[in-house]
Amino acid sequence: MSKIINFKIDGQTVEAQKGETILQVARKNDIYIPTMCYIEKTSACASCRMCVVEAEGVDGFVLSCNTPPTEGIEITTNTVALEEERVNIMKLYDVNHPLECGVCDKSGECDLQNKTLEFNVGQQNFSAKDQQRKIEHWGLINYDPSLCIMCEKCTHVCNEVIGDDAIDVKFGGYGSTIIPKNAETLDCTFCGECIAVCPVGALVSSDFQYSANAWELSRIPSTCAHCSAGCSLEYETRHHGINTESTIHRVKNNFEFTSLCGAGRFGFDFQNKSVSDNAAFDKAVEALKNANAIRFSSIITNEEAQILQLLKEKLDVKLFNEDARKFSEFMKAYSSVSGKKHHSGSLDAIKQADGIIIIGSRIATDNPGVRYAMTTASRHNGAKIVYAHPIEDVLMQNTVTQFMKYEAGSEEGVLALLANTLLKNADVDEATRAFLDDLDLGYIEAESNVGEDELLNITKTFARTQNRVLIIGSDVFAHESAQNIAKLAATIEKYTDFSLVIIPQEVNTLGVSLICDLDIDENISNVVGYNADGDFIISALEDANLSVGALNQQEGTVVSIDNRLLPLNVAVEFKGTNLNEIVKRVGLEKENTVDYTEVLPSSSGFQAVNFDSLENFLDKYGNDTRGYILDEVETLVDGTLTAVADLAEFNGTVIYHSNPVLQFNSFTNTTKQLERDTTLRGSAQFSAAAKIVDGEKIEISFGTSTITRVFKLDPELKGTVALNPTFDINVAANEYKFLKSKIVRTI
Amino acid sequence: MEQFNNRNVAEGGYYLVDIEDYPTDGWGKFKRVVKRSFKGELFVGLWVVLREMIRFDIHTISYPEEKMPIGPRYRAIHEMKRLWESDTERCIGCGLCEKICISDCIRMDTKIDEESRKEVSEYTINLGRCIFCGYCAEVCPELAITHGGEYENASDQREHFVEYADMLTPLDTMKANAQKEFDGFGAITPHEDERVKKTPLSY
Repeated sequence: MSKIINFKIDGQTVEAQKGETILQVARKNDIYIPTMCYIEKTSACASCRMCVVEAEGVDGFVLSCNTPPTEGIEITTNTVALEEERVNIMKLYDVNHPLECGVCDKSGECDLQNKTLEFNVGQQNFSAKDQQRKIEHWGLINYDPSLCIMCEKCTHVCNEVIGDDAIDVKFGGYGSTIIPKNAETLDCTFCGECIAVCPVGALVSSDFQYSANAWELSRIPSTCAHCSAGCSLEYETRHHGINTESTIHRVKNNFEFTSLCGAGRFGFDFQNKSVSDNAAFDKAVEALKNANAIRFSSIITNEEAQILQLLKEKLDVKLFNEDARKFSEFMKAYSSVSGKKHHSGSLDAIKQADGIIIIGSRIATDNPGVRYAMTTASRHNGAKIVYAHPIEDVLMQNTVTQFMKYEAGSEEGVLALLANTLLKNADVDEATRAFLDDLDLGYIEAESNVGEDELLNITKTFARTQNRVLIIGSDVFAHESAQNIAKLAATIEKYTDFSLVIIPQEVNTLGVSLICDLDIDENISNVVGYNADGDFIISALEDANLSVGALNQQEGTVVSIDNRLLPLNVAVEFKGTNLNEIVKRVGLEKENTVDYTEVLPSSSGFQAVNFDSLENFLDKYGNDTRGYILDEVETLVDGTLTAVADLAEFNGTVIYHSNPVLQFNSFTNTTKQLERDTTLRGSAQFSAAAKIVDGEKIEISFGTSTITRVFKLDPELKGTVALNPTFDINVAANEYKFLKSKIVRTI
Repeated sequence: MEQFNNRNVAEGGYYLVDIEDYPTDGWGKFKRVVKRSFKGELFVGLWVVLREMIRFDIHTISYPEEKMPIGPRYRAIHEMKRLWESDTERCIGCGLCEKICISDCIRMDTKIDEESRKEVSEYTINLGRCIFCGYCAEVCPELAITHGGEYENASDQREHFVEYADMLTPLDTMKANAQKEFDGFGAITPHEDERVKKTPLSY
């Protein structure tokens, strides 16, 4: 059977792929069918019935949003009867809709208003007795049921794309409302996606509500600067108060095709509010000239990384960035087996997958973008998802089909077992076959706590999948056998049809690792810190010797998890200097920071593209035109798998570096709206093992650091590992995320 | 209209004023100067002043103690009106006046108040820039911002702001039922009541 279906819409011959609906085909061909509840990234809500069309030979109307076309059928999208039907629907929507458009937050960006005017609804034939409806306050989100038109976009997005499944429709005819699912108040990850999709002003951001009108805000397209997913967003700025500079009021995204997590949506005010003065600037130049090394974080742009790399060459300083160095070593090991520099997968590949294995990441908090892609795959393709991690995650339980718990520190063994399972019938080279044959399965299974039946289950469930993705999280980069893990992942990618996604830890870990030639961090004198610790600190955070702009205050580019170079733009003015101004005094010559965009190293796949010619939008069909995808670079294949060494054991009170929902780093820590939960969260089992109770103040010692925290008993957690947030402290990025710790009560 | 359409100025009581011809030679000009200097025309004017002073029939206004009444449609410093029914502020904070202002002199900030309503937290008009065009009063959907008769806004600096609280009708004025509606630009026209349509049901 051919996969392409030919049919006609309004006399125009169109073709549909199998599985496409009439509406999707119409939109692709620029044929207009009005809708109220349709949203491209979810399955059809089919609640508005606006999208009705007439099909030849079919009695009555057909819903174009959920009906696939049949071969040769003729569709009419606009007749008198259809028009009348649509006008009546609009009238029904308008029944008792409060006439408060003057104060409503939508301020004209309202679907209801647009369609009411479009269908020229001049009078109302329907009426209903209005009801008393209470405005709900759900933390960051406010809900006004009297404005709600029950299109159900929010519930569909929450369930199908985000995976929180936190809101539900309370059915009751005219009295229907949106309610928190199985809870008194809204208990979710506060991604705010429901706000974004709401076509009217029913769901609004409580911080933004009534503070500005849409037309007063200037839109600045940019890229989210919190994690490596590189979500597109628009900062909307306006003056705050009378006679003040403009600040970011809210963040919007192209909700039709993309999603944004709460950190992107609500954590936008991480700009550096302080100003840099001239004296500090001179000191910074002096400090750079005398520096032995520059230590920097990965929360910088590619251009800044390029400047630092040039500084290294010019001034012969060392560059310290353990996060990127660990990642870069991991990727080198990967390249040595796969023969290419970049991993093959992308978020889109995850969205389209029907079989996903994820290992080494508490993904819901590490990288919400990947989580949403997995949720989409799960709901739309019925994807089989194997979630391998030492700690179970409640946020993922609706999405994951198989949770595979392994012991902390045994990632290498788990991946070896996976390779052994997935490569059983693959045509691998001799060395790999020898490696697989040599595996001591019994020992690894016992130490990692992964059972044979679990692996068998994977073989069984993945047998019928076609688009498979292996996702490797950031836990493994600092693992003792990171190299071997990378090679194992590369082997799986090479010999199976799995595509591979490796999740960089920070927003631009990937970019930095591709640009900079990094040295091993050591404790030497005269270290200049750039957004990191040092003897002289140049930073966008507090306690800097010289302040510079944060990522929403500068132009530049970052490289996302998709290996895509994405532009950032200035949303808030920074009153002061930037890195380029300093290095101009040291002898680098480019006029502007973004002049470095076109000289980023082509040996890593960068193209010689001018910053100003980078696009930053999604077109009307949802195609991503932002930036460019890095060119594939071939590398030498000289890596071989080494035998799996003894697996490390983690006993006692083990903590795991994992941030709470919506927190990522010290920049999200400065934002106003995001919740700051700095407690050590552990299960009842952990509490018993560590002999501490809920609410107790404790001192945790791990590695070389000691911090004080409050312990919180989290009934949703299981096992003996507690979660330690890192967004408010500095942790060594070269340390494995699971750590043995000593916990004492403090009084 | 008939009287205005008739452009024939010769009719309707017009007559030519008897004006002597201008002198053309030097002697004639000399004679005119002498005549004007010694005729005593000055005392005619002085006599009028003296006469009116004695009669106490004085037409000048002693500003600023006395002021001329101003027309109801005069567009001077803005006023913020209150609702007759409840004495609460009419302004809903929709921001249209700020948007429409062509000299960009209105700035407002709004926020959500305790009762989940939109509240105007800050509102200023820069009178140094305002051109008193009346667009703000015209666009206001609530007839909240209007022009008033207060025209004295001299200031010692260019940037002269007037704030929301200064423009708002005082509560005791409302209690005394003395709030004046604005008749000018943007005001409702007479017989508006008869033209209002019922919403939202069919009519």
